[in-house]
Amino acid sequence: MLFNDPLLSRDQSVACSNCHAKGTAFTDPQHALSLGVNERQGTRNAPSIANMAFMKEFMWDGGVIHLDFAPPNAIENPLEMDETLEAVLRKLNRHGSYPGLFKKAFPELDTITTPYLLYALSQYQAMLVSASSAYDQYQLGKGSLTEEERQGLDLFKAKCATCHSGALFTNQDYANNGLDTVFPDLGRARITESDADLGKFKVPSLRNVALTAPYMHDGRFKTLENVLDHYAAGVKSSPTLARELSGGKGQLGIPLTSQEKRQLIAFLKTLTDYAFLLDPRF
Amino acid sequence: MKNKLFFLLAFLAFGFASCEKESESKEPGTIDINFDNVAIVNGTQTQLSMATAGSTTYTYTNGMSQTFNVTLLRYFISAIELTGPNGEYFKDEVSVSAAGSKGYYLIDESKSASQYVTLNDVPAGEYNKLTFTVGVDSTGVVDGAAGGMLDPATNKMFWNWNSGYIAVKFEGQSPVSNSGITGSESLAAGAANGIVYHVGGWKNQPGTAFVYNNKRLSFTFDTNVKVDKDRNPEVHMVFDMLKLFKGTKTIDFTGNHNVHKPADGVDVANNIPAAFAFDHAFKGITNEKKLDHLRGVFFCFSCLHKGRCGNQHLPV
Repeated sequence: MLFNDPLLSRDQSVACSNCHAKGTAFTDPQHALSLGVNERQGTRNAPSIANMAFMKEFMWDGGVIHLDFAPPNAIENPLEMDETLEAVLRKLNRHGSYPGLFKKAFPELDTITTPYLLYALSQYQAMLVSASSAYDQYQLGKGSLTEEERQGLDLFKAKCATCHSGALFTNQDYANNGLDTVFPDLGRARITESDADLGKFKVPSLRNVALTAPYMHDGRFKTLENVLDHYAAGVKSSPTLARELSGGKGQLGIPLTSQEKRQLIAFLKTLTDYAFLLDPRF
Repeated sequence: MKNKLFFLLAFLAFGFASCEKESESKEPGTIDINFDNVAIVNGTQTQLSMATAGSTTYTYTNGMSQTFNVTLLRYFISAIELTGPNGEYFKDEVSVSAAGSKGYYLIDESKSASQYVTLNDVPAGEYNKLTFTVGVDSTGVVDGAAGGMLDPATNKMFWNWNSGYIAVKFEGQSPVSNSGITGSESLAAGAANGIVYHVGGWKNQPGTAFVYNNKRLSFTFDTNVKVDKDRNPEVHMVFDMLKLFKGTKTIDFTGNHNVHKPADGVDVANNIPAAFAFDHAFKGITNEKKLDHLRGVFFCFSCLHKGRCGNQHLPV
């Protein structure tokens, strides 16, 4: 309810779900850079917020170290909801339904305060677990993949799974994947204030990736084909470029034939979790 | 009238002095710590004078002869410990919860009540050393949202984009500052003469680039203060605002005057330890503070002149 309520924004025009829409696995279906109040344009692409319960750090630069601390970034950012926590709490406390609902969830509470607001939003986000894709069914022995999808999976394990590792398809680290040679967005270096982290961004999970276009921290690639073309032939060199993309023989990126790209995309589509997307609770 | 009052007060004072030995209680007591924000110029201590946004009255001068004023001063004190000469030890409870976090104190120049930290259930005994952290360490951050003093909606001391609490928030104005400031609480965005120092950084992880700007400080008193259920001593600490800008590093208001991230705040952070000092302690005979107040209003017993004498002359 809170997640879908534009009350959280200054002029009641932007809800969390504007840019984290359920139908596209809680990302922004329309904009490379999402729009906030007064159509103000943000600086990064809205990432999927599925499986946040399992993440160590949040945001493209990992500056947020606890799920509770994620929502105030959107609420108080002038380019997003442009509101203050104080004002949100005022609106909630004089609202017709919220005080009663909060009391029901947190019996010890008299007035809605920041921690309770953030607990409520975290509880909701922690429920957004995506783990029943075709790939998961295959892993559990309850479903099968096509020949092409299986070949894609093998390729993925060989060429992608160093960074996009494990059940979440991310090692939760930060990497420069060769998008640029100069970095107007410092990425991870904004947080660590170290040149060694320039242009590094969080390795995103790939669950539901077929639905989360556009891709990259700035939404520059419209399709998965564009993304694979980048890894195959578009990687640019810079001092912080990921070792995995630096190649062995002076060649950058991950060599991929068109057939391999097709197979990889077929596999990536098996990560779409329809049970999650259609879950009536969200 | 004045004479009558003198005798009354003298009687009270001797009365308490003579009772002291008889009331050696072993039950825990309370100790107050007063954080007094001041400016010390040529050895003379004055109460901090605050300015409003837009004011062009610049009361203070930094180490580079640049004038400035103060529109906001607020800092976190946490994880307080007291130790004594005979092994006495008290550790103020630190806990984090939505209903109200404990052990975190926000000293705000605009709220006089915030400048008194009351520590309860201090074991009876003598204490001569105070230790505390300026800022909020990982304990206060890693468990997520918290209430009480740690509520970001009310303390206005939280960095959203790089989770963590600001340790010391200073805002003011200086005529030499010549480019716009951002993210100020007390000044308009873009204010050309603003000086904004939001100093923090809690990730104390060796081998990483994260900057740790909180400071753990210890102060030894010039006397032992006795605590028990009958004695309520007060330790008076001073925080010399001027020392934020001179000390190990001299701060120049013409550059780097819009500080909002850990690395930019290192120089000011390194000046924090010298800004705090132990000033004096009221040893804590019951009602002594009331007598001290009267002494301040009327006269000093020992100096026998009107008004506060500045010496700690009351018998203890």
